[in-house]
Amino acid sequence: MNPAHHPDDSLLMAYGAGSLDLGQHVAVATHLRGCGRCRAWARAVERVGGAMLADAPPAELDEGAIERAFARIDGPAPAAARAQSPAFSGDWPQRLPSFVRAYTLGPWRKLGPWVRAREIALPQPCETRVLLLESKPGAKVFAHTHGPLELTCVLSGAFRHGGGRFGPGDFDAAEGEDHHAPEIEEGENCLCLVAIQGELRWQGLLGRLLQPFIRL
Amino acid sequence: MADERAERWAGLIGAIAQRGDRDAFAEIFTHFAPRVKAQLMKSGVGAPQAEDLAHEAMLSVWRKAGLFRPENGGAATWIFTIARNLRIDALRRERRGGVTHVSEVEAQFAIDETPGADMRLETAQSEDGVRTALRSLPRDQLRVVEMSFFEDRAHQEIARLLDIPLGTVKSRLRLAMNRLRALLGPDR
Repeated sequence: MNPAHHPDDSLLMAYGAGSLDLGQHVAVATHLRGCGRCRAWARAVERVGGAMLADAPPAELDEGAIERAFARIDGPAPAAARAQSPAFSGDWPQRLPSFVRAYTLGPWRKLGPWVRAREIALPQPCETRVLLLESKPGAKVFAHTHGPLELTCVLSGAFRHGGGRFGPGDFDAAEGEDHHAPEIEEGENCLCLVAIQGELRWQGLLGRLLQPFIRL
Repeated sequence: MADERAERWAGLIGAIAQRGDRDAFAEIFTHFAPRVKAQLMKSGVGAPQAEDLAHEAMLSVWRKAGLFRPENGGAATWIFTIARNLRIDALRRERRGGVTHVSEVEAQFAIDETPGADMRLETAQSEDGVRTALRSLPRDQLRVVEMSFFEDRAHQEIARLLDIPLGTVKSRLRLAMNRLRALLGPDR
């Protein structure tokens, strides 16, 4: 089934142009893996980049540039980059892009009785962190507000909030001011990939009491 | 008019792949290297590094010509993605000190498809169609798209550089994006 909720145009533009940070890139790439329509749009953005490049006013190259280029192509070929054969731990959920499955998974941490999370360690420092978040059926995740950005891509199961129902492949974006309280659908656990900046702030008395323990 | 230029470039890259054709490489280099350098400088890369990366991009064109697939977009699009990946790699290397490789960035842009996902909508839009679409966009709208996404500038910075209100930056972006999606994108 095709996803019903997609990243917005500016996220897909930034993805194709190459201006997303790696954490956000991971979230968008996870959606693209299962969405032909967004993939087509991301590829169209690359063609926009190509057309802009082809017609750009040229800069001046240093003197002798073409001779240097020929010297380099005649030079020794570089040692082939070591083929990356990611060691899949078997622990990785379906629907994640292969390059993500080459990263390191942190341990599960409980965030209360219904929710647990584990961090995906990105291979470089990044303002956006990426987590796997798993919630039990029927769980109500506390209403929360976030830092500047929270991108979610559903891997399995489903949740609902004011914006609709989000099942496998669906993409949800929230920014600082949004208060939302997703409710996990009955039936199976809901596993999401979440890219976040800043810290979540939980609303409500219980949420505030738990804040010190479920710092994300 | 068919895009003769795009066809010619695709042919040149084929000639590099098949017989290491140096004249073909020289022609590609002469057109693209100065433009790759210019685009990199616009996105904030200093001139010496932009020159190095433009050389690096052209070297990749020579070495990877056999991997070029014209049906996935034209030569200009392919070279754009090569330069984009090199720029991302260079930025990251600056931040974490030489332990990255551009093949990692390439892997991050490789989309492995979920079995059963709908592939039908992934129609190839010709480079020609894209250029026609870009030409039909008002220049001031195209400029904010370029600055925001391809030069990676914040909206405030664009407002300052173009000397227009922030709201105008946002509305131009929105108009341009709606129009581009209507012209290029599949329907939602």
